[in-house]
Amino acid sequence: MGSLGSGRPASENTGKSCRREAPAVPGIGRRYDMSGMDDDSVVATAEDGATELPPPEPATSFARPPRSNELRRLDPHYVPLQRAVGWIVTAVVSVCSLAAVGILWLTGDLPWIARLLLVPGWLLVTLGIGWLSYAWPAVHYRHVSYTLDDEGIEIRTGVWWRQVMSVPRSRVQHIDVSQGPLERSYGLGRLVLYTAGTDHSRVELAGLNHAVAFGLRNHLLPRGSDDAV
Amino acid sequence: MPSERRLHPLSFVFVIGGQIRQLVVPGLVVLIGAGSAGLDWQGWVMLFVVPYAIVALLGTLSFRYRFDAGELVITRGFVFRNERHVPYGRIQNIDAVQHVLHRLLRVVDVRVETGGGDEPEARMRVLPIAALEEMRERVLAGRAARAVQSGDSPAGAVAQTVAPQRRALLTLGPRELLLAGFIDSKGLIIVGAAFGLLWELGLFDSTVNVLLGEQVSSRGVIRQAVGALVGGRLPSIGRMAVMVLAFAAFVGAIRVLSMIWSLIRLWGFQLYRVADDLGTEFGLFTRVMATIPLRRIQTVTVRETPLHRVFRTAAIRVDSAGSDGAEGGAARRESLAPIVRRADLQRVLGEVLPDVDVLAAAWSPVDPRGFWRAFRSSLVLAVLLTLPFIAMLRWWTLAWLAVLVGWAWVHARLYVKHLAWAVGDQAVLFRSGYLWRELTVARFNKIQAVTLGESPFDRRARMASVRVDTAGAANASHRVDIPYLARHVADGLYRRLAGEAARTAFRW
Repeated sequence: MGSLGSGRPASENTGKSCRREAPAVPGIGRRYDMSGMDDDSVVATAEDGATELPPPEPATSFARPPRSNELRRLDPHYVPLQRAVGWIVTAVVSVCSLAAVGILWLTGDLPWIARLLLVPGWLLVTLGIGWLSYAWPAVHYRHVSYTLDDEGIEIRTGVWWRQVMSVPRSRVQHIDVSQGPLERSYGLGRLVLYTAGTDHSRVELAGLNHAVAFGLRNHLLPRGSDDAV
Repeated sequence: MPSERRLHPLSFVFVIGGQIRQLVVPGLVVLIGAGSAGLDWQGWVMLFVVPYAIVALLGTLSFRYRFDAGELVITRGFVFRNERHVPYGRIQNIDAVQHVLHRLLRVVDVRVETGGGDEPEARMRVLPIAALEEMRERVLAGRAARAVQSGDSPAGAVAQTVAPQRRALLTLGPRELLLAGFIDSKGLIIVGAAFGLLWELGLFDSTVNVLLGEQVSSRGVIRQAVGALVGGRLPSIGRMAVMVLAFAAFVGAIRVLSMIWSLIRLWGFQLYRVADDLGTEFGLFTRVMATIPLRRIQTVTVRETPLHRVFRTAAIRVDSAGSDGAEGGAARRESLAPIVRRADLQRVLGEVLPDVDVLAAAWSPVDPRGFWRAFRSSLVLAVLLTLPFIAMLRWWTLAWLAVLVGWAWVHARLYVKHLAWAVGDQAVLFRSGYLWRELTVARFNKIQAVTLGESPFDRRARMASVRVDTAGAANASHRVDIPYLARHVADGLYRRLAGEAARTAFRW
């Protein structure tokens, strides 16, 4: 597991943003103490059993002991990042629909009852999307976790339709670590595993600390030349 | 320095011919459709073809290949020179196709494929037949030599490297090909294409007139029939008899066409084994010769339609990773055996999957509570399909619903009864379907990812499904996707498969 540490140097780049204040993330703090969860503790858990990580709780209903390591969670900054994305979507949708409402109001030949309903309808839609983009990221965060061991990685996702996927290390063809502009400002990155499979030829794990993503990549990259094509 | 080889002198004919065909076939359709107005359009096409012909000619003239110690080396180009090295060990398939013209000139169109990418690694259009044989031997010998050196060859391989024996596994005679055509009914495709063309060109009605000798509007028949059904006005007995007869004749004609097509396409079908490769060879006019290395096979699927069962036969397909994107590349190989007598099934499967005993697998059923879930979902579907017709059916709705409930019950019962899975020493097996039965085998070392899924319905019933992802699965192919497992069973299966996959090394 020491190879995870090799992701550390990369964290220099993103360290500034990673080490901002303990995330004041309403909605998830109730259940987890996030204060200690910077990249160091996440990286270190497996080996020296640091206790700063939130206790692995049965996030999904798969009631069985984790393989050889405990459940690891995404970076808590993923919640505000997704909320930010949500706000942008909400703003765009509400502005566009407001314009549509305005055009309908001015030019449409509508019965008065429809006119009366237009504005409350728009308000309802906007509030609904806004509420979803606030609440959903925390729910989603609670339902994503992964386990890592010598054999590979196991990823749990899904709130309603849940799935646990196991990708053995020997099946990983290549790995990307990517980062968009918003993710960069939050110090996050996404790990993309490519397998030779059909449905899961691309397995994405978004919302990781950028340094942790590099560590995972180093851990999962195929070793040796035993799997000649 | 090993001697260099060239393409067949007539190669450029085929290169240009291929291009012209691509242009001319749609061109002809347009010409027929547009009448004589499109004639000067042909001149334009010729303008495009001329420079292309020159490029193609230069390309084929510059094409060279040679067999080095460990690799096939291909050089091409006069101005922009390109040299490609393909190690023998990486070559997965050497496919060869012969159309009628190829056969007249005794040449073959050869594709050399390796593991990755959508395109063949090398396409040799065209080689003399002797050159293909030489290439096969060189590649086999080169691959075997490499395997012996690295010491990872199977025990028997050393003996086989000396003289690769070709051993027939399955040979299909005309009778079996006709049977395969009868069962497969590929004729529908031909009929569909012909219909489409006739309709497009407005010839449909006139054709029908010529055939029937009187003024019958083809569209009118269907409209009348639908009108009769919807309006509740029953057509006369005679008319109904004509309709039924016509339908029967249509179905029969499709079957006959399919049988003829199968006979032409698969003429002289043979599945054989050379060292560690499987090969197929078939075709009356277009002769196809394809190979699949045994270790390249990702999943094997045995399919049984009701007609297969009547004639005590089955069909075997394999998914092999590789150039699916190339035109027909996978399609040519995937049908390993279009039809196999049940008596031969064991033997052929034994050759394809030497270490998995497919027919003697210890099957486990899915959770019996799956019946209620399958029943409920069919029932919901049935009710949704009935809703739009309530106004029309009135009180008949109740009778219709009773029929649907009965159907849902029987369907769910049979469906869940025929779901089964098995885990052997080397592979996971899954079968499903009661009328169209399919059985898929995925070896552990071909598993790319294992997924345990829980839908909200699964959670309510404390169930889960286990799904295995393999390389090269076509969209329509049967997968190992086992539903309705009790959760502790699913957990165990998932753990086992994930562990087995992690312990084995994946090789293409």
